[in-house]
Amino acid sequence: MIRIAQISCGSEYSGVQGELQKAAEMVGAELIFPEVSLEDVRNVEERFGIEVASGDLNLAMARATRIVENPDLADAVFVATCFRCAEGAIVRSEIRKYIHENSRIPVLSYSFTERTTAETLLTRMEALVTTAKFKGLLARERQTGLTAGIDSGSTTTKSVVMRDNEVIGTGWVPTTEVIKSAEAAYNAALESAGVKKEEIQGLGTTGYGRHLVGKHFEAKLIQEEITVNSKGAVFLADAQKGTATVIDIGGMDNKAISVQDGIPGTFTMGGICAGASGRFLELTARRLGVDITELGKLAMKGDYQQVPMNSYCIVFGTQSLVNSLSAGSKPEDVAMAACHSVAEQVFEQQLQEVEVKEPVIMVGGTALIEGLPRAMEQLLGLKVMVPDYAQYIGCVGASLLVSGLVED
Amino acid sequence: MVKVMVYPPTSMILADLVERTGHEALVVSKEVRKKVNTPGLDSPPLNMTPEDPKKGLKYAAVDVPSGVRGRMSLLGPMIEEADAAIIIRNDNCTLGCTGCARTNELTRFLLKTKRIPILELDYPEDEFQAKRFVHKIHEFLEGLN
Amino acid sequence: MKSTKYVVTSQDSDVLPSDIALKIYELGREINVKETCFGVIIDGEEEDIDATVEEIRAMDESNIFIKDRGFPPGDPRRCRGHRGGGARPGFYMMQHESEILPLISRGLASEAMGEEASPEIETRKRPSLVELEKMIKEEFS
Repeated sequence: MIRIAQISCGSEYSGVQGELQKAAEMVGAELIFPEVSLEDVRNVEERFGIEVASGDLNLAMARATRIVENPDLADAVFVATCFRCAEGAIVRSEIRKYIHENSRIPVLSYSFTERTTAETLLTRMEALVTTAKFKGLLARERQTGLTAGIDSGSTTTKSVVMRDNEVIGTGWVPTTEVIKSAEAAYNAALESAGVKKEEIQGLGTTGYGRHLVGKHFEAKLIQEEITVNSKGAVFLADAQKGTATVIDIGGMDNKAISVQDGIPGTFTMGGICAGASGRFLELTARRLGVDITELGKLAMKGDYQQVPMNSYCIVFGTQSLVNSLSAGSKPEDVAMAACHSVAEQVFEQQLQEVEVKEPVIMVGGTALIEGLPRAMEQLLGLKVMVPDYAQYIGCVGASLLVSGLVED
Repeated sequence: MVKVMVYPPTSMILADLVERTGHEALVVSKEVRKKVNTPGLDSPPLNMTPEDPKKGLKYAAVDVPSGVRGRMSLLGPMIEEADAAIIIRNDNCTLGCTGCARTNELTRFLLKTKRIPILELDYPEDEFQAKRFVHKIHEFLEGLN
Repeated sequence: MKSTKYVVTSQDSDVLPSDIALKIYELGREINVKETCFGVIIDGEEEDIDATVEEIRAMDESNIFIKDRGFPPGDPRRCRGHRGGGARPGFYMMQHESEILPLISRGLASEAMGEEASPEIETRKRPSLVELEKMIKEEFS
């Protein structure tokens, strides 16, 4: 049983403790609460570096120091505070950094409201458990044999076939009916690789539809996107050793993962609104009358500062889009402003929750919209790397990881 | 008999001193008892559900964190019920129901603006202070009769 | 209605938790008693508990303190053995207040004897500008 140390403030009183418990149980983990003494709480400033007005946050920091001093107590840490609490957000972030820097225990940071459900937490908890449980599998650096991966995403379904550490076939279709789309993408990948389904030694699935697709194809590995994408990203970017940061702006949500030696350390997943996702860029492309594959090139010619845009909400973002076009803004400036707006939200909301260390690797289909990684570079002041096959990251990760299971 | 809310609402010392004089101490454990004994509810440990932060909207707006509103759903009705209050100023060990400083600030504010008799004092640090502490509380409670 | 209370003894008290438990058994009411490091937890019907509390307090008026508890004793929802460890939050508050119980006990004893509480001493006084200037001159001369 994987032990997840819960270090939090407010979950019981928000009525979501039961949901946290349920999510942990669903992924085969138990929540534990590190024992601390009253003296530990009183001396929290001396030990952790700060004491705050809220007692439960001091207790949380005392528990964090206990975990760092006794890393055998827990396999993973879940740090959570109430959404919109400034004091909580500061402490949550410091606890996350503290554990990340002082131990090798994976940390998940989250802010909840009373609307948080077990289902919302499931993928995050699953990733936390996988990271803790399958360190050996995640340490795998080479793909061997003939394996395949299917990434059943919310917008597109992708598939790759790999042989002896090389991608030999790819397939890509928009997601409509989950299984049909998976079949189409998989068949396309098999065809371009020139191999038959029967020859595939192992298949791994990931993405929103991973369970359904995995069951249908009798996959050997069914895995959430956080661990799979981290693995795929460091593999394709040739950054398997040391630190890395993986950013995946998806069709429905975004992921920011701080990776150490190919294994997720801290990560966050979310997106307040579709305005901060690939959907907004699709909408922009449609409004500009260009294909999504052309949007990035157009954006590279533009200047985001010429167009005021805030896609914090997709409705307001669309309004900005329409207003700027009717006010005579140039399409290239509008395209770059849309890229900048999406990148800015990911920067503000997600990248503050992880340690951004180089190399920064952007993956997923949106990484191919050149304006987006450029906007991210401007915001971070760092070079952003987009590896080949960036849009197939989940499939590559799944294909690589499943080859470890085939060998076993 | 007067209903006296104590702050911190988890204070054993204040609750005990209030009940010694025959008044009723309003303490959060009585609210928790109601929660945990509610049949049909199954949301351990406190049996608080997402409905509770919504009840807390009576005391704090929706942009106030859910943990504050959830706690206020326990403390708010006590404040409404209170005829008098005793408030400890140097409350430097508050956890759980009193583990959120914002909730505690709001609780003290709502008590103070209620225009009920209030006694504010510090936890004693020596015997002389303790004697004054007990005396002041005794005097205050006697005065409520 | 059921009621649960903590009965806590100050460190100055000669009454042991086992003495309190014995007293409750002698009273013959239907009350569950659980001894803890602080004293005892008692659980039963509200009227039985209220009547018992007064009799327990009389064992050592100034040194016995009573507090309501939300959960019945050993409730798996709060018991650390059932919920992944960690003391329940109320434990810390109880420990914190227990440390000053001997002071409160002495205050109660003094109040019971009708002793006058000594007047408050103004310990902190802001120095006047003249005084401050003098201090600075003395320190840096």
